Amino acid sequence: MSLVTALRSGRIAHAPAATLAPASAITLQSRGYAAPAKPAQKTASKFKSNKNKDKDKDKRGPRDSGAFRPMSVTNLTHPVFQSEQRTQLKLPVFRPEAITATAATKAMAFPHEESRALKAYGLPRNILVDYLLLAKPCSVVRQVTVDMLDQLDGAAASSSKDNRIVLTGKAGSGKSYLMLQAVQYCIQKQWLTLYIPRAISLVNSSTAYAYDARTQTYGQPAFAQQLLKRFADVNAALLQSLTVQNSYPLEDRTVPTGAPLADLINVGAEFQNYAPTVLNAMLDELALQTKYPVLLAVDDFQALYCTSQYRDPFFRSVKSYHLMLPRALLEFASGKKTLARGAFLGALSMQDTKYRPPLELIEALGLEPLGPSNPYVPRLPELVEYAKGLKNFPVPEQLTVDEAASIYDVWQQSKALHIPLADEMFLAKYTEANGNAGRFVKHGLLETVAM
Amino acid sequence: MNIARQIAGGAFRFRAYATAAYVPPASLEGMQRARPPPIKPKPESPTFYSGRANYYDQLLALEDAAKQTKHALQELQLLPLPRFAQQNLPPLQAVWKNKDDLAEIMEANLTTSRYRRLIGQLNQLNEYRRLAEVAGHMDLAVRIQHILEMFERENKDAILARGKSKPVKFDQYGRTYTVGRRKESTARVWTIAVQPSADEQAGSSSTTPAQGELAAPVSTPQESLLPSQPATGIPGFTSGPLSLAPAPIKVPTTNILVNGMPLVDFFPHLIDRERVVRPFRIAGLLGAYNVFALVRGGGSTGQSGALALGIAKALAAHVPEVEPMLRKAKLLKRDPRSVERKKTGRAKARKAYTWVKR
Repeated sequence: MSLVTALRSGRIAHAPAATLAPASAITLQSRGYAAPAKPAQKTASKFKSNKNKDKDKDKRGPRDSGAFRPMSVTNLTHPVFQSEQRTQLKLPVFRPEAITATAATKAMAFPHEESRALKAYGLPRNILVDYLLLAKPCSVVRQVTVDMLDQLDGAAASSSKDNRIVLTGKAGSGKSYLMLQAVQYCIQKQWLTLYIPRAISLVNSSTAYAYDARTQTYGQPAFAQQLLKRFADVNAALLQSLTVQNSYPLEDRTVPTGAPLADLINVGAEFQNYAPTVLNAMLDELALQTKYPVLLAVDDFQALYCTSQYRDPFFRSVKSYHLMLPRALLEFASGKKTLARGAFLGALSMQDTKYRPPLELIEALGLEPLGPSNPYVPRLPELVEYAKGLKNFPVPEQLTVDEAASIYDVWQQSKALHIPLADEMFLAKYTEANGNAGRFVKHGLLETVAM
Repeated sequence: MNIARQIAGGAFRFRAYATAAYVPPASLEGMQRARPPPIKPKPESPTFYSGRANYYDQLLALEDAAKQTKHALQELQLLPLPRFAQQNLPPLQAVWKNKDDLAEIMEANLTTSRYRRLIGQLNQLNEYRRLAEVAGHMDLAVRIQHILEMFERENKDAILARGKSKPVKFDQYGRTYTVGRRKESTARVWTIAVQPSADEQAGSSSTTPAQGELAAPVSTPQESLLPSQPATGIPGFTSGPLSLAPAPIKVPTTNILVNGMPLVDFFPHLIDRERVVRPFRIAGLLGAYNVFALVRGGGSTGQSGALALGIAKALAAHVPEVEPMLRKAKLLKRDPRSVERKKTGRAKARKAYTWVKR
């Protein structure tokens, strides 16, 4: 191979510059397709201070879905923004006392100081996009909300074996919002709450995984560490009074019986390699204690039943129940492990076509199958086991007119819409969406150009 | 002498005006005349000698009738008509027989100019008839109509009804069935008025004051999002209807099912759904009617356009007052646009192949 071809293919890209310079000077061309690969600049290693690095990190905001973040009011100096006439969006606060039968169809804002769950755990993507546009994180309390919260109140005293609820319904019917309301309610009612807003990120190979020989399952250390930190942050007040009931020997330390549960969590939060084990241990401890009821809430619940995107060393797909955290969640969902007090809440998500609810889950919930469901279609026995005993909680696919009117009011008062405030416009958008909440907001209010 | 007589007679006969020989009357008394000239039958009408008797008979009869009618209308002070009245008369819709048919009736050839003259008279009479009809003189109008009937086509009603759609029928449940088309798509639309539910009917008929007061929700000012609407009765009124909380209004909604699926599932694109709902918006009938439709053929745009046309026709049938609004918005017009055909020598309907200089 000649020097020129070698240069173009970049095989001697790392050769010292001195030998290349005389030969390449004749053959170098200026056209892009013919330009040879530039050899790497070899410079003597310099000591680089860390002063400049941190400054860049501070400027970057928290990771979000890439949607725009609204500017602060102080930056909006142009008169067209009417910053002087800004009014706060006045909504009643979402509190357990306010959730009564008459509270249905009212929009309520999540309390600012206690909405750590929203910030700590994160939100499903569609809700996040909404809250970027709205003035305050809020939601409309529906009749189905009142019903579900009544059910959760009943579950506070009993074990989770009888309270494994899965929210089902059409895309856009409001399952994620309902789950968010349930999580907020439970936090305010002094429950220990663990909320996973996007379970798809557990199985789509977006976080590191490591095989644990002891349990013969794959742990996800980074995710587990983050989750432990968030759990500790949201439930800090309640964890102070809880102690560990078993001892947990780790590689270089042991968490003895009677130690505060917060200590166990801190071990996992500090050391990423212990995090998956600590997370499992924490879940077991939460299941044993009876002081506070526990809520395990998982959005995109069907992803736990799909094959993950991870691969084992033989390039076979790793099943979801071979991952530590999904396995633990499936065990609580199926009743193999139970919480002494509390409930397991899952919400199906029909939006993502790569993680559709599998046939075993659909049959367990009594839903209409999406594909063939004849006896010749294989059903994995493990998934059938993990889907046993799940209670279907259907979310009505149509909003009532009053609920839709509350949503419309919230958006109008946030001044987030470009359409006029009128009964006729509201009814037209409601009719176009056939009462579907997601379509009503996303298409009807935000995307319409018909006047 | 015979010759002289003949000559004289001939002269008398043929040139009586010129040089008639004087014959004293006394000598003519005994003269025997030749056989009397044959009595010709008198023609029925003076138009016999015109060569087109039938035609001129008809024409003169019509002109006569027109003259008499004009005289009658002038006596009734309907002629001459002021301009504003002339402009506001209902339109004339005349369907006269064509030239060949009239020629058959008259058993004679009819040239175009003679036909036109006839039609001119008929039109004049038709105008007088309209005037008499509008003024209420029905006997006069009927008499003119008798005359004009002979010249009208048999299928006059069918011709006048061309282009007008048949009236939409209502079945025993009050549903209409209309059809809309656009491009290659067809939509069959059944529309029915939204029925008020049983509890609403009961509620509207009997609302006792006690029930009204109990039904008033206990709410704080913070919770009412529309502060202009009081949740309780108007303060200051202790009795009467204004002291009661307003009864909650149940807003009816329009449900649209297309091929058994809700509208939002059948048309995933917003623009198609907006197109379908547009007739309701323009008519202001959102929430008044429910729709069930079967659509077939074409794509989403064609199907949504066909559905919109079917819905517009149904709304115009249910509520005739909205028809002018829908017509103005061009929702009752069947969009005639369709895919243009491909032409020879072109890649597509308009796209041409690359022009090559040589």
